[in-house]
Amino acid sequence: MSEILIKNASVCDPAQRINCETMDICIKDGKIVESVSANAKVINAEGRLTMAGGFDGHTHSAGKINVGRFINPNDSRKNLVPGLSGQVARTEKTRAQVGYNTPNTYAIGYRYAKLGYTTICEAAIPLLAARHTHEEFKEIPILDKMGLSLFGSNWQVMEYIRDKEPEKLAAYVAWGLRASRGYGIKIVNPGGGEAWGWGKNVSGLYDPVPNFDVTPAEILMSLAEVNERLKLPHSVHVHCNNLGKPGNYATTIETMKLFEKVKPSRDRQALHVTHVQFNAYAGTSWRDFETGAPMVADYINGANHLTFDLGQIIFGPAVTMTADGPVEYANARMMHEKWSNQDIELEDASGVVPLFYSPKSFVNAVQWAIGLELALLVKDPWKVMFTTDSPNGGSFVNYPEAFTYLMSAKRREEVISGFSKMALDRMVLPGIDRELDFYELAIMTRSIQSKMYSRPEKGNLKPGSDADIAIYDILPGKIDPSTEYEKMKKAFSGAAYTLKDGEIVVKDGEIEATPKGKIYWVNAKVPSAIDSAMQKDIDVKFRKYYTVSKANYMVEDVYLQKPVEITTEGVF
Amino acid sequence: MQIVKLSLKEANKIPIEADNINPDNFAGKTEEDIKTIPVWYGNGQYPLGDFFNVKVEGSDSVENVKLVFEGDVARVKRIGQNMSAGEIEINGNVDMHCGFGMKGGKIIINGDADSWLGCEMTGGEIILNGNASYYVGSGYRGEACGMRGGKITVNGNARDYLGEHMCGGEILVKGNVGLLPAISNNGGKIIIEGNATMPANEMKNGMVIIKGEVSDLLPSYKEEGTEEIEGTVYRKLVGDVNVGGKGVLLIR
Repeated sequence: MSEILIKNASVCDPAQRINCETMDICIKDGKIVESVSANAKVINAEGRLTMAGGFDGHTHSAGKINVGRFINPNDSRKNLVPGLSGQVARTEKTRAQVGYNTPNTYAIGYRYAKLGYTTICEAAIPLLAARHTHEEFKEIPILDKMGLSLFGSNWQVMEYIRDKEPEKLAAYVAWGLRASRGYGIKIVNPGGGEAWGWGKNVSGLYDPVPNFDVTPAEILMSLAEVNERLKLPHSVHVHCNNLGKPGNYATTIETMKLFEKVKPSRDRQALHVTHVQFNAYAGTSWRDFETGAPMVADYINGANHLTFDLGQIIFGPAVTMTADGPVEYANARMMHEKWSNQDIELEDASGVVPLFYSPKSFVNAVQWAIGLELALLVKDPWKVMFTTDSPNGGSFVNYPEAFTYLMSAKRREEVISGFSKMALDRMVLPGIDRELDFYELAIMTRSIQSKMYSRPEKGNLKPGSDADIAIYDILPGKIDPSTEYEKMKKAFSGAAYTLKDGEIVVKDGEIEATPKGKIYWVNAKVPSAIDSAMQKDIDVKFRKYYTVSKANYMVEDVYLQKPVEITTEGVF
Repeated sequence: MQIVKLSLKEANKIPIEADNINPDNFAGKTEEDIKTIPVWYGNGQYPLGDFFNVKVEGSDSVENVKLVFEGDVARVKRIGQNMSAGEIEINGNVDMHCGFGMKGGKIIINGDADSWLGCEMTGGEIILNGNASYYVGSGYRGEACGMRGGKITVNGNARDYLGEHMCGGEILVKGNVGLLPAISNNGGKIIIEGNATMPANEMKNGMVIIKGEVSDLLPSYKEEGTEEIEGTVYRKLVGDVNVGGKGVLLIR
C-alpha cells in the first residue's frame, strides 16, 4: 500500500469548483482519497499550481503518425523546442528520443508527461489498421490511451443507412469498436473519403456520396442515432465537410444545427466538432479569405448541445495527417509538398502532408488568429477543448506556448505586431482583450475532457479519481500571467511533478519513472439475433472485397496493455 | 600556420564518426589536447588519440589551420563536418559525409569519396581528385534543400543523385555521372563534362550543363532555342514542367 500526501497545493480543480485554493491531496494505491496515515510520503507543493493530469482529447499520436515519420525523416533532427524535441540519448530511465512533429513513441509518452499530461485520445483509428495503432499504443509509456474509430465513409455503414437498417447499423458499429478496440465514433468528412476513391469529394451536407445514394447529413444523423442507442461514453466526434476551404464556416454551423435534435443518452454533449479552426473560414477564395470565427462562436454561444476543440496552429513546421484524403491532395498541390495518400479499402481514405505555417503568410496568420478567436469568443469554457490537433496545427510540445496566447493579450499583441496589414484586416483577434485564468485553462485542458469522454475518474481531483496530478512551478496570485508569460511557459513546459496513478513520473521537468498506461475501449452489447444478421452481411464484404479475412481483422487481447473494457447496454 | 598530421594507428573495420575532426576544433590546440577530442566508434565515444597518431606543428587561429590525413581513412566518416575555415587534405579514400554542412574553408581529397560528399554545405570548397559515390552535394533525407553554397569539384566520376535537392552553389564533375543528377534541385549550377542519365528530373530552378552524352532524357522540358557558352552551342531546355519548373538544362 503506497500512500502520498501532497501538502500546500494550490489546487485548481474546476470539476469541484475549486479555484486555486491551498489544500492537501491524499493518495492511496493510485487513487485520490480523503485521508492518509501518518506514514504517507509527503510532497510539499509549497503553494504551487496543482491540477489534475492533462488530457489531450484529440491528438494523432499512434497509427497515421507513422506515415508522417516515413515521409519526414528530417523531422528526427528538428529541435525547435529544446527539452521537448530533437535527439536525446537514452538514459537509465528513458529510451532514446528523436523528432519534433512526429517523435518516436517513447518520446511522445515522456514529453506529454513533462507537460503534465497523463491521458491522450488518438483521433482516428481506421478499423483495418487498428492493430498497428495498438502496437504503437503499447510502446507509448506512462500515458493512458484511447482511440476513436473511423466510420464516416464506411461501405457497410452507408449501405445500412441507405437500406434503413438502424439496428444492424448499431450492431456493425458495436462490432467495429470491438474489432478496433476503439472508444468512440469518429466521422471525418462524412462520405468524402469514399468519394475520394473516385477522385472526387462531397461539397456539403446534402451532396450524395457516389454509388451509395446517401448524403453526409444522413451519415451524421444515423451515426449519432447509433451513438445514443449504444449509449457510448463519448458523443460522435466530427471533422466537418469542406475542411480547409474558404467559406466553410457555413457548413460547420449547418452541421452543428443538425445535431440540435439529437438527444444524448448520457450526461454529455450530443456532438463534438473537432479542430474547428480549420472549419471556421469565411470568404469565397484564398484571395478574400477571412475569419469566420465570430459567426461560429456566436452560434456556439447560443447552443447547449455541443463541445468543440480548437486545432490551434503554431508557426513553424507541422505535419498534417487526416482521413480526409481530398484535403491532403489539395494541400500537397497548393504547397508543392510531399504527399502520402492511402486507400483504406472499404472504409476510408487517408493522407499525410508536411506544411510550414509562416507568420508572413496572411492565410497562416489568419488561421493562427481564428483558433484563438474561437477560444476567446466562446464565453463558456465548458464548451472548449484546447488542442492543436497535434501535429496538424503544430506539435503538442508547443502547448505551453499556446497557453501564453490564451492567457496574455500582451503576448498576442507581440505576435500580431509581425503580421501584415492584409492579415490584420481579415481577423478580429486584435480587438479581443479577454485573458484566460488558470481555472479556465484547467477546464479546457483536463476538466472538459472528463465530461466529454464520460471518464469521471479523469481530469479532476475528487476522492476516488485516479491520482493523475500535475504540479507546476507557478504560484497563483504571485504571478501575473498577462505579463510574466515567459515564466509561465517555462513552468508548463516541465512540470515540477507529474503523478500517474499515484506514482511520480516527472520531477523537476525530468522523467522519474515510466510505468505502462492503460488502454480504454468500449464493448457495446447488442442482441445476438441482430448481431448474427449483421455478421452475415459483413461476411459477404470480407469474401468479396477485403484483403484480409474476418478472423485476422479483429485486434486480439494480446495487443492491449492493461486494457480497461467499458461495457454499455444498447437499447433495441 | 598550424599543421596537424593525422594517421590511423591501424585500419579500422567499425566506422569512426569524426564529426569533431575539423579545423575549428583543432585551432590553437596542442597535441595532447587534440588527442583527447572525443569521436564516436561504434556505440561509444573514445578519445581521438586511441585511433590516430597526432603530430602538431605550430599553433594558429582557424583560418590558418591545416589538417593532413596521411593514408587511407576509408572508414572514417564526417571529416570536416560543419567546418567554417581552414583546410583539410586527405591523402587516401574517405568515408561518407565528408564536408557535411561545411560553411567555409577547403577540403582536398586525393582518393575516392564515399556517398554524401559536401551534403548540405553552405560555403567553402571541396576538391576531389578521385571518384565520388552517391548523393554528392545533396540534402539530408527528407529535407527540401541540399547544398546551398560553395563549390564541389569532382575530378573523376560520380554516381547517382548528384546535387539532389540542391538550392545553391556549384558542382563541377570532370567525368561521368550516374542516374538522375540534379534531381529536384531548386537553384545552383551543375556542370558535367562527361555523360549523364535522366538529368534534372523535377528541377524547379538552377542550371545544369552537360557536355557529354545524355541518355534517357525525360520528356518534361520545353525546348527554347540554343545557348552558346565558351564557344559551344547547347540545346536549351526549360523545366521540369511537371513541377512548373524554371530550371535550365543545357545539353549538346
